[in-house]
Amino acid sequence: MKIKAAIDHMDLRRFRFWFQLSAFLLLVYGGRLAINLGTSLPTFSCGYNKSGTAGVCYLLPLQHQLAQPWERLFSPAGVMVLSGLGIFLLWFVALNKAWCGFICPLGTIQDWITALRKKMGIRYSTYTDEQFKKLSLIKYVFLLILIFVPLAIGGQFLSHDWGTPFCQLCPARMIIPLFNGDFSQWVIDFSSTGRMVLTALGMFITGLFLIGSFLKKRFFCFFCPMGAFHYIFSKLSIFKLKKEGDKCTVCGDCYRVCDMQIKPIADDVVSKDILMDDCILCLKCVASCPEQGALRVDILGKTVFESTKGGFVKRMGLEAKK
Amino acid sequence: MSTELPQHQVETSQQRHIRHQGMEASGVLDTVEKGFGGNPEAMQYFYDLFRDVYCEGIKPHPDKEMIGTMCVQIPDEIIHAAGGIPVRLCNGFYTDEEVGGDFMPAKSCSLVKASLGMLKSETNPYSDGIKSIINPTTCDQKKKAAGMMREMGYQVYDMELPPVKESEEGREYWRRSVRKFTHEVGKLTGKKVTRKNLKATIKQVGQAQLTYHRLNELRKNTPIPILGKDIFMVTNAYFFDDLTRWTAATEKLCTEIEARVAEGYNAAGRRSPRIVFTGSPPVFPNLKIPLMIEQADGVIVADETCSSNRLLNDMVSVDEWFMYDMVDAIADRYLKSCTCPIFTMNDDRIRRLIELVRTFKADGVIYQAFSGCSVYEMEQRSVAKAMEKEGIPMLYIETDYSPSGTGQLSTRIEAFMESLKVRGRQK
Ligand code: SF4
Ligand code: SF4
Repeated sequence: MKIKAAIDHMDLRRFRFWFQLSAFLLLVYGGRLAINLGTSLPTFSCGYNKSGTAGVCYLLPLQHQLAQPWERLFSPAGVMVLSGLGIFLLWFVALNKAWCGFICPLGTIQDWITALRKKMGIRYSTYTDEQFKKLSLIKYVFLLILIFVPLAIGGQFLSHDWGTPFCQLCPARMIIPLFNGDFSQWVIDFSSTGRMVLTALGMFITGLFLIGSFLKKRFFCFFCPMGAFHYIFSKLSIFKLKKEGDKCTVCGDCYRVCDMQIKPIADDVVSKDILMDDCILCLKCVASCPEQGALRVDILGKTVFESTKGGFVKRMGLEAKK
Repeated sequence: MSTELPQHQVETSQQRHIRHQGMEASGVLDTVEKGFGGNPEAMQYFYDLFRDVYCEGIKPHPDKEMIGTMCVQIPDEIIHAAGGIPVRLCNGFYTDEEVGGDFMPAKSCSLVKASLGMLKSETNPYSDGIKSIINPTTCDQKKKAAGMMREMGYQVYDMELPPVKESEEGREYWRRSVRKFTHEVGKLTGKKVTRKNLKATIKQVGQAQLTYHRLNELRKNTPIPILGKDIFMVTNAYFFDDLTRWTAATEKLCTEIEARVAEGYNAAGRRSPRIVFTGSPPVFPNLKIPLMIEQADGVIVADETCSSNRLLNDMVSVDEWFMYDMVDAIADRYLKSCTCPIFTMNDDRIRRLIELVRTFKADGVIYQAFSGCSVYEMEQRSVAKAMEKEGIPMLYIETDYSPSGTGQLSTRIEAFMESLKVRGRQK
């Protein structure tokens, strides 16, 4: 009971900061200590960070595997695709989208950029409802690209120059290796049209990433195909974000602090499972809800963290001076 | 502002008004204070406060800049940060209603008429000295009252509130209103709202709210440790009392009530039905219906009104402690969870009522609508329907400030209490 209260009252901001930093160090530099977590990680632990990465983002091998000639892909040997997916799912099921909010190195970098903006006292930007609805579809477009372009290569409709298309576009490929002093990804590859288009676009997107995440909290996460991919499987996870609509006053406190501008987190008083496709399970909403038990996190059906008045008071610095 | 008359002088109309007001106030205070027995000691602060202000004519903030507010949506945090004292002008005096009747059509709301009457007669010590009034665009009557207040010579600031609160457009509209207000209120008080001040007042108001929450939480207990009439006195005092003093007094009350809970003290009768009160706001001294309920052996365990619970319920949550985020956070607090019936939808109020009945273990709901308060009158149907569906007994009462016709009302309330008791026995 005591432990539960301590968790409910924790300073989530600080906890996340240290957790994210540790995860970042592990994933970005762990390779140097010969740590190897395999190639099916459900997070942007970029494989291009060759000298440091402690495991590889699943999207890289997935695109490789899907680009195999069709006769191989659709033969018994194609089972290897499924085994990769299986391991991916094992990782994913344990933490659900908390991979985004607590582990993803690219997410962490965005949070650091946000911290810099805050230091400067500059206001964050937000999307309007309309923009939100349109933009949040982009991640599904990326997801389609990263599945169908490789398939088209395997079926010989496209050349291998278009291989691993999403990786070429992904800002993590350019940014994460920098932490190991590796600038080799900062080039436009003129060897073929496909490479040129992809790497030039990649450069552009990286620029957008840097500016965007300065202005907007978790800018890139709206567009992340990994997030979309997660969402397909999120119902399977043992890690759940739950809402008790009866206890909610629709005060909107949770929605206000949500980096991903998820409106239903406040307005939906019907759904019990309140995890939305854009959610990064950062748990800021739970921490900022003043109503006892309106929002909570369940692992295997057991509540591990829930909104409490006491926790709210503590985090808002409202405790009466004794 | 003495209530005694020099013998050789003829009483002016203003003096008569003050005398009547004092009589009205002290009559209700006597009932609240002496009519029930078992008052918590810490309530004395509040009884005295009302007596000082309404019977003795003592001004609560003699030399401070008071800013009048007309509804629950005007952000206290911002007014405090600008060095002003927010004073809620919603008024409950029948004496004032009679004066205010000149301004409004006969079939309009008692509360609006009484507030106008108070502003016109300038006899109310707690509003005396107010120059600026912030009037949110809530119901039609409040909206139109703005013009009349202007005519009386007050400086009225119309604060634009959207009629829809669910949409992002509505939210943004209101945020803009609040941002503009933050900027403008400094001109009324002569002091700019700064980041530091606003952060401090968010916390100050937050602490007052928490103290109220602590008190309210205690009402979930069976037996009930405190009567509803006392809670209305506490929340009504928040309308005009000094924030720090109010918080300290309420904290003292909490400690006392906590001790009562520990010893199993019962403030009501053995079988008193537990009531959730909703609808048009009871404002001192118009505590007619709440008092009738408790005189009829009921006990109000929770309420959903803008003069009490809604005033203090929802809290500001800030993500980045800068002006841009604090002001928006305040705006959200006053809009999104507001259950005022002027909004297009009232689902939130219904959900809230059901939740209150559940968590405060209430036996029934009493819904008061001032005749002429069309929004509460109109919502009655949907609320009644929802309560019926949930199997929660509800009594709907249409009333006004006039002292006549109370016999019939109390008979209805008594009958309702009896039916709740019978129902309780059958359960
Ligand atoms: S809904 Fe909650 S957990 Fe999900 S992104 Fe928003 S604040 Fe984070
Ligand atoms: S913060 Fe809590 S009470 Fe407020 S809208 Fe969100 S879930 Fe509901």
